[in-house]
Amino acid sequence: MANTVNFTGAVDRDLLRRAKVIAAKTDTSINALFNAELRFLVETFEAAEAGGNQNFRTLLDFSLGRLNAAQAMAATGIDSDEDLFLLMAQARLPMPRLPDAETHGMVDLLKSLPTA
Amino acid sequence: MTGQAVSAADITLLPDAGPLITLAYADALHVLMKPGWTVVLVDMVLHEVTRNHTPTSEKLAAWAAAAHIPILPTHTFAHFKSAKSGLAVPKRSNLGELAIQEAMNQCALQTPPRTGVFLFEDHRIARASFLVPDNCRKISTRAFLLFLQQKGWIESAAAIERRAIQAGRAFSPLRFPP
Repeated sequence: MANTVNFTGAVDRDLLRRAKVIAAKTDTSINALFNAELRFLVETFEAAEAGGNQNFRTLLDFSLGRLNAAQAMAATGIDSDEDLFLLMAQARLPMPRLPDAETHGMVDLLKSLPTA
Repeated sequence: MTGQAVSAADITLLPDAGPLITLAYADALHVLMKPGWTVVLVDMVLHEVTRNHTPTSEKLAAWAAAAHIPILPTHTFAHFKSAKSGLAVPKRSNLGELAIQEAMNQCALQTPPRTGVFLFEDHRIARASFLVPDNCRKISTRAFLLFLQQKGWIESAAAIERRAIQAGRAFSPLRFPP
């Protein structure tokens, strides 16, 4: 891989663990996986922008938590949660996520409730 | 419900549209029943997920009917239906949230008040500005699935999320407005 640079970033611990599993299974490196996925994101974004299509930008903003669902749906011209879910899946963008600490707090809350 | 023993059946689980869609794509709607809580659908939410023909609409309608899921009526949905039959079509974008808020209020006003567990996708929890009564809980689908996993009721929360995404990528019948 010519003309590469190193950089420092942070990644979700569990996501990195899962990525390592995939890298091992596919006999490649985290670095190669990261490059492939980043390239997909960049090229998809650039292609959409070059074509005057702002939908990918909108979905990316939604994925990053910068737009809410209503704003994303209005911008992409859809009117249902299901279409938004499908668009995100097709764009290979993750749905927005709450911080893990908040999620685990909710799990603890559920554990305090009676169950069958 | 202070001072009284609360059983699992006294807890009401009310999923929003997002969790229903995700679980339907993952073919995992049955996990909603695992804790033994009373699963209830808000009428406006059920309408939202079944009003159009989608990859999951029939599955959700069939599941709700087969599992005899009680439907919670709301003034929001009644207003929506009556307004729709007239000339003015109501703005739909926030009706689901209004109906959920109404369901939360109903939970709080019941005597004795019932504990309501309201399931949302992460982005709804982050953004929606509900007034959540003390006896109601706002919980994400991911947290609910992790809870089930930690209880040993499902093998893997992540696997269910993955199945939903994979199924979503396999379908592409998007319907755009004319």
